[in-house]
Amino acid sequence: MAKVPLLKEVVKLIFSKPATIQYPREETPVEPDARGRQYADLSKCIGCSLCMIECPPKAIRMEKIPEGYEVPKRNARKIYPVVDYFKCIYCYRCVTVCPTKAYVVTNEYRLASDAPVNSRELSLSTLKKAGQEPSQGKEGVNRR
Amino acid sequence: MTEEVSKVDKVVEIPMTVEIPVGPQHPAVHEPILIKVYAEGEYVVKAEAYTGYNHRGIEKLAEKKSFYQDIFLCGRVCGICNAVHADCYVRALEHILDKEPPPRAKYLRTLVMELERLHSHMLILAVTAEIVGFDTLFMHMMRDRELIMKAKEIVTGNRVLADYIMVGGVRRDLNTEKIDKLKKILAKVEPRIRHYWRVFEEDVTLNKRLVDVGRLTPAQVTSHGLLGPVARASGIATDSRYHDAYDAYAEVPFRIVTRREGDCMARSLVRFEEMQVSLEICRYILNHLPGGEAVPDERRLPRRFPEGEAFTTVEAPRGELTYYVMSKGGVNPYRVKIRTPSYNNVINTVPFYVGHTIADVPAILASYDPCISCMERVTVIDSRRGIRRKVSMRDLARGEA
Amino acid sequence: MSSDPLEIPDVLKPIENLLKGVAIMKPGRVVALLESSDVVKAYVALKARYGETGLYFSTLVATDLKEEGKIRIDYYINVLEKNQYVVLRTHVPRDDPRIESLLKEAPAALPGECEAYDLLGVIFEGNPHLRRAFFVPEEVAGKGIFPLRKDAGV
Repeated sequence: MAKVPLLKEVVKLIFSKPATIQYPREETPVEPDARGRQYADLSKCIGCSLCMIECPPKAIRMEKIPEGYEVPKRNARKIYPVVDYFKCIYCYRCVTVCPTKAYVVTNEYRLASDAPVNSRELSLSTLKKAGQEPSQGKEGVNRR
Repeated sequence: MTEEVSKVDKVVEIPMTVEIPVGPQHPAVHEPILIKVYAEGEYVVKAEAYTGYNHRGIEKLAEKKSFYQDIFLCGRVCGICNAVHADCYVRALEHILDKEPPPRAKYLRTLVMELERLHSHMLILAVTAEIVGFDTLFMHMMRDRELIMKAKEIVTGNRVLADYIMVGGVRRDLNTEKIDKLKKILAKVEPRIRHYWRVFEEDVTLNKRLVDVGRLTPAQVTSHGLLGPVARASGIATDSRYHDAYDAYAEVPFRIVTRREGDCMARSLVRFEEMQVSLEICRYILNHLPGGEAVPDERRLPRRFPEGEAFTTVEAPRGELTYYVMSKGGVNPYRVKIRTPSYNNVINTVPFYVGHTIADVPAILASYDPCISCMERVTVIDSRRGIRRKVSMRDLARGEA
Repeated sequence: MSSDPLEIPDVLKPIENLLKGVAIMKPGRVVALLESSDVVKAYVALKARYGETGLYFSTLVATDLKEEGKIRIDYYINVLEKNQYVVLRTHVPRDDPRIESLLKEAPAALPGECEAYDLLGVIFEGNPHLRRAFFVPEEVAGKGIFPLRKDAGV
């Protein structure tokens, strides 16, 4: 009868560790190439706006790069994409259509926040600011 | 009924009819439906269906977005079967473009779809067990289902929403390291599934609640257009993977699973055997992946589509899912029509509840496999006392309403 | 009878006399063009030929062809015996979209017909379950708008 194996299993489970991952004491095991937060690396971006056109939920807006940043020559219009992380569905369409592969991908999955977040800071940090080096650098792994 | 003395000259007998809405309030569901069940005592005498809680403005929205944006839109119609929706839509686009994906991409698509079938069946079987009162089994199955979700994350990059399929192939490839990880996961999952299968076949409670309940004859199945495991459990051998033989299904070891009884237990057992077939297919794919490219360069795909129309079918875990895509040239589609299997399975089976007890209704509904994790609250209207009580689906199923 | 170069495929032989034309939809679905009054007869003929369990009614797709002033209705039937899909294609005029309901012959058509009525305004005569706000939310249905029409403005 199947009753016996179930009983044995239940008894075994009483004495073993719970199967739930005790977050935040333990880290959840996430794959290194899981689809997490992404942002544009402005040292490669040319300002073509393709990512804005293709984005399914229209989460990307093109904004002018503010004064004081050294913009590479290839970005003639001096615009850059800002991803609104609350609208983004993390489908990575922007990553795959970019003609210069300018998007940096990470597996950052801790995306909950109570204030609106976007990629302005992260993207601007990849540019030199009048004499300084890029502050944050590329924290992710450039996959393609 | 007792008669009042003197004053009245007639007594009107009001049978205790209880109107029980088996209804969804959860916005996250794909096909929420309100089934009003009129019961006399314990037996159902009439049932009605009311829909519209979560209307898919998706078909209208799809006409406003481009073909490629619609791939992501269609993948979000259902949380559980998102890869099959995207696959069906993309295959329709490929027919319009007259383009075929490379063999490696076909195998990878099949892999993801079979993984989805595995975790979807585990979910509905766990929910069936929970509804009849077997909570422990529900918890155990959900724990083992996490292994499949991990496998999906390894392949597609996300546990649930696999934005994996693109016109001309898939969006990521597998390397040997990932294939090894996947094989290990499948080796862990297989004995667990066999264990649960044995539990379903032998356990006394499950047998009492599911055998001989919700019987459907083959004629009822075809005339009402029921699909998927519901049809196959009544003997109708229909499976889109056989009819259309799309992607890699012509080459992998695939067989249609049918049973003759047509009751709830038969549907659950059909799902178990389908999981077995899925495991075999996944293992075959991991061992026999053809070489070559699988990922198209998305920047080179055509933006404008030629005129044309296509009708594709796919075997979602719940049944046959059909997509109709019509293009009149240009960047946006002219018409996208999605007919999901729950559409037929849930709405057309409303007349079949009559004659069963109220406690059977959730069990039968769960065996048709709607997206049921939403249907948590049920209102019991006691018409005699005029009281409304909120009762959870589980209590209803256990007869504590 | 049709005078087009395609010969009548085997699966459509039972409804030969009703055909106005034949076409093929990708990827290999046989399309039978019919008058709107012939659809029920065609379904009955197909059912008589293939039996109760030999086919099932799968999908109903209604499309608004605004430029041509018509609404096109497709009935998709899966003929299990021949392992083939048959499409019964018909048109109804856009300003008076009435067609006989298939409900008596194929109860499976119920959700398809209700949806076509709610979203496009096609009236299926003989279907007692047609009502607005079946799928469409009250705010839109209350204004008498059929959302899927091209001039709906939603």
